[in-house]
Amino acid sequence: MTANGWLQIAVFFVLVLLAAKPLGLYMARVYERQKTLLDPVLGPVERLLYRITGINPDAEMRWTEYGAAMLIFSCATLLLSYAIQRLQGVIPIVRLNPQHLAGVEPYLAWNTAVSFTTNTNWQSYVPESTMSYLSQMAALATHNFWSAATGMALAIAFIRGISRRESKTLGNFWVDLTRGTLWVLLPICIVSALALVSQGAIQNLKPYDTVTLVEPQTVTAPGADGKPVTTKVTTQTIAQGPLASQEAIKMLGTNGGGFFNANSSHPFENPTPLTNLIEMLSMFLIPAGLTVTLGKMVGSRGHGWAVFAAMSVLWFAGVATCYWAEAQPNPLLHGVDQRVAQMGAAQSPGGNMEGKEVRLGITNSTLFATVATDTSTGAVNSMEDSYMPLGGMVPLVNMMMGEVIFGGVGSGMYGMLILVIVTVFIAGLMVGRTPEYLGKKVQAYEVQLSMLYVLIFPLIILGFAAVSVLAPSFGTSSLANHGPHGLSEILYAYTSAAANNGSAFAGLNANTHWYNATLGITMLTGRFLMIVPMLAVAGSLATKKIAPPSLGTFPVNSTLFTVLLVGVILIVGALTFFPALSLGPILEHLLLRAGTSFS
Amino acid sequence: MLDLIILTVSLVFFVIAVAYIHGCQSLKGGGDNA
Repeated sequence: MTANGWLQIAVFFVLVLLAAKPLGLYMARVYERQKTLLDPVLGPVERLLYRITGINPDAEMRWTEYGAAMLIFSCATLLLSYAIQRLQGVIPIVRLNPQHLAGVEPYLAWNTAVSFTTNTNWQSYVPESTMSYLSQMAALATHNFWSAATGMALAIAFIRGISRRESKTLGNFWVDLTRGTLWVLLPICIVSALALVSQGAIQNLKPYDTVTLVEPQTVTAPGADGKPVTTKVTTQTIAQGPLASQEAIKMLGTNGGGFFNANSSHPFENPTPLTNLIEMLSMFLIPAGLTVTLGKMVGSRGHGWAVFAAMSVLWFAGVATCYWAEAQPNPLLHGVDQRVAQMGAAQSPGGNMEGKEVRLGITNSTLFATVATDTSTGAVNSMEDSYMPLGGMVPLVNMMMGEVIFGGVGSGMYGMLILVIVTVFIAGLMVGRTPEYLGKKVQAYEVQLSMLYVLIFPLIILGFAAVSVLAPSFGTSSLANHGPHGLSEILYAYTSAAANNGSAFAGLNANTHWYNATLGITMLTGRFLMIVPMLAVAGSLATKKIAPPSLGTFPVNSTLFTVLLVGVILIVGALTFFPALSLGPILEHLLLRAGTSFS
Repeated sequence: MLDLIILTVSLVFFVIAVAYIHGCQSLKGGGDNA
């Protein structure tokens, strides 16, 4: 670990802190339909969209209507994405499929459609050899906007549930979806995409380039008869495409699905350290801003900052652990050259550089991995399968805590607010009073549904992971590694799917019928079956009166609240998974120290 | 054929999700929130 590394982490956090307040206040104005600077441009577009679709923007929805509208929208867009992928080979627009890629196979198309609809962006495919430009733009990038705007709309609906008194409604889903897309996501993405292009990210509809290698390579691989065949490779294909526009929303919408298979470690997706910083900031921007939006809309700025503080503490704990773990040399590396490189020297700080980009280094790789799994982004700029066991455990734990450390756009906020309800409930039990949250009594119904929300998550992850590790024919046969590392790979896949993160630990071939189908079900359940009880809590809170604070009211803008909230997140999130973690990365760490590795 | 099966499964999931809304709503009956 170096002072320079810590300084970069500190600078990143200061930038997030500086951006949170103006963006949070702006988002509050957008969703409360107050005047903004962009109204003259976007107002007519918004009105036109309502006119075309026949939506009455002044109609308010109950939580059930809000939830049903969200489900209908998600179902329709899922089917649209599926159809585009299946038909990409026969749609006669050559410019949008210059490589003449065939239609995507049904299981994979379904898995991908589900993945992008749920903001997961799990990718069981290699984009540059599977998806046409049409599919990338019309089936995937559009979902990056829609799923992000849906998450933000749901978070705002929950905040309205807290702030409204004796109301039966939570707003209008279509209006929230439209305003989130037009006023928040699009303007930031335009700026961000231009910044990425200025640094070298590509944006074109060209066919792939074929170039001659400066240094031809000799490759030996098994032939059709199983005998080794040596070939000389003299050319390389360089994939092209409309990347920058998708990259911008991929990060801002905490989607994470790479335009290329190498994701943000590809030099076209993430060309420079500056684009790396832009991409990391993009992931935290809206989730951090939403804490300020929360404070503004519920009339307690201090509460918003208390939630921000809890998120920040957990973020720092994760990045510090991951950075520390990866800055250590691998104890099993032998041989003077490798050992010296990892131990550090005058020109190099040392550490585990396997699977990391040299141009980004350990600090920016571990910070990126932490931020991407704190949020639901799932983008990677290094290969987490190559991390040290404890370094790889941090992204896993971040997701297991329900991705509430800033979290996905919107989903992080409503996930955190559910845990706030649980925290307030526990605090109420401790002092023997009816729990109150910002003047609203938290009663049996809200606690039951909050616990339903909390329990669905581990149930779906551990259930499918258990079946997979017990099934050699379709579960463990996909593993590249066995032992505790193999368990980590399976656990990571289902956690990533349930948390709608989408990052992969690698080492697991998930493009099989079993994994495509079960990961798809996991993604759907982790998104929609958790949203419904959350909306029910919001709907119930909205109907309640707001009582003035009394001596027995637990202040939710205090340091004590932040500490208690962090404790609840750790207990509910991390401890639920502790037995599985102890058999996976923790056991692997101990065995590594004892001199054992797994292949 | 596989396309039809997959589309049907997707629709069934969303129908279940809508029914789930009803289930969550019906939990609130005769409790302390009246």
